[in-house]
Amino acid sequence: MSLKSLDPRVTRLHLPDGEVPPMEEKPALDQFETYEAFHQKKESTPHAYAGPVHAPNEDVAFLFAKEQYSRRFPCVSLWVVRTENIQVTPYANDGENVYDILRVEAPATQSEQPEPYEIFHLKKRGKAHTHVGRVVATSYQEALQEAKNQFGDKAPIVNVWVVKSKDVLQSAEDDKDMWATTPDKKYREAIAYKVMDKITKYKEENKNTPA
Amino acid sequence: MYGGGNVFEATKFDDLQTEDPAKLAEFEARIARGEKIEPTDWMPQLYRKQLIRMIEQHAHSEIIGALPEGTWITRAPGFRRKMAQMAKVQDEVGHAQLLYSAAETLGKSREQMLTDLINGKSKYSNVFNYPAFTWADSNIISWLIDAGAIVNQMANAKGSYGPYSRALERICAEEAFHLKYGHDAVVHLATGTPKQREMVQAALNRWWPPIMTFFGPSDKMSTHTETLMRWKVKMASNDDCRQQFLDMYVPKIWELGLTVPDPNLKKNAETGQWEYTEPDWDEFKRVINGDGPCNAERLAVRRTAEERGAWVRHALLNPKAKYVRPLA
Ligand SMILES: [Fe+2]
Ligand SMILES: [Fe+2]
Ligand SMILES: [Fe+2]
Repeated sequence: MSLKSLDPRVTRLHLPDGEVPPMEEKPALDQFETYEAFHQKKESTPHAYAGPVHAPNEDVAFLFAKEQYSRRFPCVSLWVVRTENIQVTPYANDGENVYDILRVEAPATQSEQPEPYEIFHLKKRGKAHTHVGRVVATSYQEALQEAKNQFGDKAPIVNVWVVKSKDVLQSAEDDKDMWATTPDKKYREAIAYKVMDKITKYKEENKNTPA
Repeated sequence: MYGGGNVFEATKFDDLQTEDPAKLAEFEARIARGEKIEPTDWMPQLYRKQLIRMIEQHAHSEIIGALPEGTWITRAPGFRRKMAQMAKVQDEVGHAQLLYSAAETLGKSREQMLTDLINGKSKYSNVFNYPAFTWADSNIISWLIDAGAIVNQMANAKGSYGPYSRALERICAEEAFHLKYGHDAVVHLATGTPKQREMVQAALNRWWPPIMTFFGPSDKMSTHTETLMRWKVKMASNDDCRQQFLDMYVPKIWELGLTVPDPNLKKNAETGQWEYTEPDWDEFKRVINGDGPCNAERLAVRRTAEERGAWVRHALLNPKAKYVRPLA
């Protein structure tokens, strides 16, 4: 016997009815690696952490992030970074400055070429990291030291993320039109549903008929 | 949508004696100060265990909850409703993604969560084991099940775990549309033709008993529950959530001239509490343990999607990929 559903399309799948053997354990990485996404809601605000996505590569991660984090609300730019490529400091208590409690060590290996790094601060636990700027350095440690010099006075700072700029996949200026139609989709806005008018009209018309 | 009514069972991690007292004190002080816990912070085993369980169940509820509404997309009356229903279902599946990631920061892999769902090891909201017979059933889900979910989610957003709060903030912002969309759809039927009114009343009659179990049975007030409340894992008792739901939505049902199929339902003017017929908790237990009208179908559909997509995921997999937990 196969499973009978109210939905004929499900019935047509001929799924087994009754006891079924358990599904095999999923292999590692069946759900891919993780990436972290940052979105910019309008030109005048910095990029802020949106959340993670699972994807097989950077380009797909970008598409997933676009769907997941910029589908419903205004967005002008999107960044995606492999989780592995983000260096994270310890977390300070709320109200503190993590740079003060960090022992920023001298870099172990000095790479020859200075390169740009993006710096993200978390102002309060539970909130989202936001982009504070870019530094040029030869290592993550040096980038963190530079970040402390340039942005360390913006306390409270409870946590810092450091990413090489080259590891950030950024939406291009030309990509902006992919968000152009977001505001047109009024049917997914709460304010598009004028329920009260209908209810008032109904009550008005049925004043004299008991429910 | 959210499967509320988490039953927090005792675990072997209940014994806090095995935890480092200094670290435990620091952890509790942080929560007492109103600070959030972030993934790399030290946390008691019980906290980690219960959060994984709660967030995972929430994620499963979103993804399974999308099935009864998803099946109505093609049959939704009119293009605008198809678009809206599709957008809502997409939101719910997105909620599952957000929540799986939040649970993952605590150390359980997404692969394991999906396997446990399909093999019946982890639960999802019991209401989705009931069928949506008509378009009106789908509307009642969109309105009242989502309404229940929002009561829960708003409370949980104030919880102590950072990644869960962040996910819930986004989820709650999206839910505002679901609630209005669902209400609008129900109002449309309730203020329509006699046939439409009949349809929506029948759907409400079918869904009321599951809705009353949505928040779960009354909590047994144990030291266990008390600990989870102190740690801001459990933010409100199941009964408080149910009362809040009744307070907000029963008047909205009544103003449409619809009736609630419970002759004992009334607000006690003295206590300010709603009185109602005690839900059938035996049925609840039976259904949540697998013996409901749709359990088999829900899991079979989910499993088929996983199995049929496996070759695509396999083909896309980068052999050099290395798993790292999401950061936040
Ligand atoms: Fe929803
Ligand atoms: Fe929902
Ligand atoms: Fe949802």
